[in-house]
Amino acid sequence: QGTSVPFGGMEGDRDAPVEVTADQLAVSDADDTAIFTGNVVIGQNDMRLSAPRVEVIYTADQSGISRLLASGGVTLVSGEDAAEAQEADYDVEAGIVIMTGDVLLTQTANTLVSDRMRLDLEAGTAQMDGRVRTVLQPGRE
Amino acid sequence: MAGPCALPYGRHMRTRLHATQSRTQPLSGYSRFVAWAKILLPLASLALLSTVFLVARQADPAKSIPFAKTDVEALAREPRVTAPLYAAVTRDGATITVSADTATPDPASEDQATARKVWARIQTSEGIEYNAVAEEGRIEGNEIAILRGNVDITTSLGYRLRTEEMTAELGMTRLTTRAEVDADGPLGEINAGRMEVRTEDVTNASVMVFKDGVRLIYRPSSTDDR
Repeated sequence: QGTSVPFGGMEGDRDAPVEVTADQLAVSDADDTAIFTGNVVIGQNDMRLSAPRVEVIYTADQSGISRLLASGGVTLVSGEDAAEAQEADYDVEAGIVIMTGDVLLTQTANTLVSDRMRLDLEAGTAQMDGRVRTVLQPGRE
Repeated sequence: MAGPCALPYGRHMRTRLHATQSRTQPLSGYSRFVAWAKILLPLASLALLSTVFLVARQADPAKSIPFAKTDVEALAREPRVTAPLYAAVTRDGATITVSADTATPDPASEDQATARKVWARIQTSEGIEYNAVAEEGRIEGNEIAILRGNVDITTSLGYRLRTEEMTAELGMTRLTTRAEVDADGPLGEINAGRMEVRTEDVTNASVMVFKDGVRLIYRPSSTDDR
C-alpha cells in the first residue's frame, strides 16, 4: 500500500532551468556518460537535491538530459519538507524523483520512513511505497 | 626632218600631255571634292593620331604599380616566420597541428617562439577533434603549446569552450585550461574553474573533466528547439 503526502508546498514548473553545481564534472565521449562528483547539488525551482555523485543520462538523440541518477546518500529539500535516501532517480523530462533505499521523509508535523518514495515535483505530492512507518514524536504539538 | 610616222605620234602625245599639265577649263565638282579631300583627310588623320598621345590622361607611374605598405625596417629587424605550421603525433596516436599568422622566435631562449593568431587542431585516435583558436601562442621546448587571449575551443562532441589561457601538451593528448572556462554543449551551459581534456590510457576514450567548482545550467524546454 502507499501513502500519498503533499510535499514541497507549491507546484514546481517542469520546464524551469535545472542548475547543477559540483566540484567536478567528467564528460566521456566513449560511453557517453557525464558524471558529477563532489557535493553535487541539483536545483530546480525551490527543490534542492544534493548527493556526492550524480550521473547524467542523455536523451535518446543526445540533445539534452533525460535523467539524473544521484547515489551515495541523497538528501532532497523542497519548501520546509525534506527527504533522505540512498539513491534518487530524477527524471528531468517528467519532473518525477524516485528515491530508494531507506527513505526518510521529514515534514513539519510528521516523519515517514519507507523503502521507496515517488515524488511528483509538478503536482507537489510524494507517494511512499513499501513498508511505510510513521515515527511519532510524543509531546510535539 | 623626222619621218612621216613620227609627226602624228608626236602631235598626239603633245596634246595629251598638254591636257594634264595646264588646266584650261575649270575643275568639275567631283574633281574639286577629290582635291580638297586629298588635303583634309590627311590633316584629320593627323589630328586623330595626336589625341592618342597628346590628349590622353597622364598615367601616374607611382599609383599604377601596387606595392605593400608594410614597415620594411620592422620586417628586416625582427626575424619572423609567416604562417608557421607545427605538427606532431602524440604517443597515444593523436595528431596535433598548430599554425599561426606569424611566429617570432624568442630572443631569450632558442627553442621558444611566440606566435600571433594561433590555431591548433587535435585529432585523437578515436576520431574526436578539438579545434582551438587564440590571439597569441607560445611553443615551449617542443613539449607544450600555450594559447592565450580569448581562446575559443570547439570539439566534435558538440561542446564549445571559451577561456583565457590553455595549454596543449605535444607529447600526449592533454589540454588544460589555466583560467576559468565557459562551455556550451548538449548538457547546457557549464562554467568551471578549470577544464582538462585527456585520453584514458586503457580505453583510449577522450574525457573532458571540468574541475575546481562546476556550475551547469540546463534548460529542459530550450533543448527541443536547439
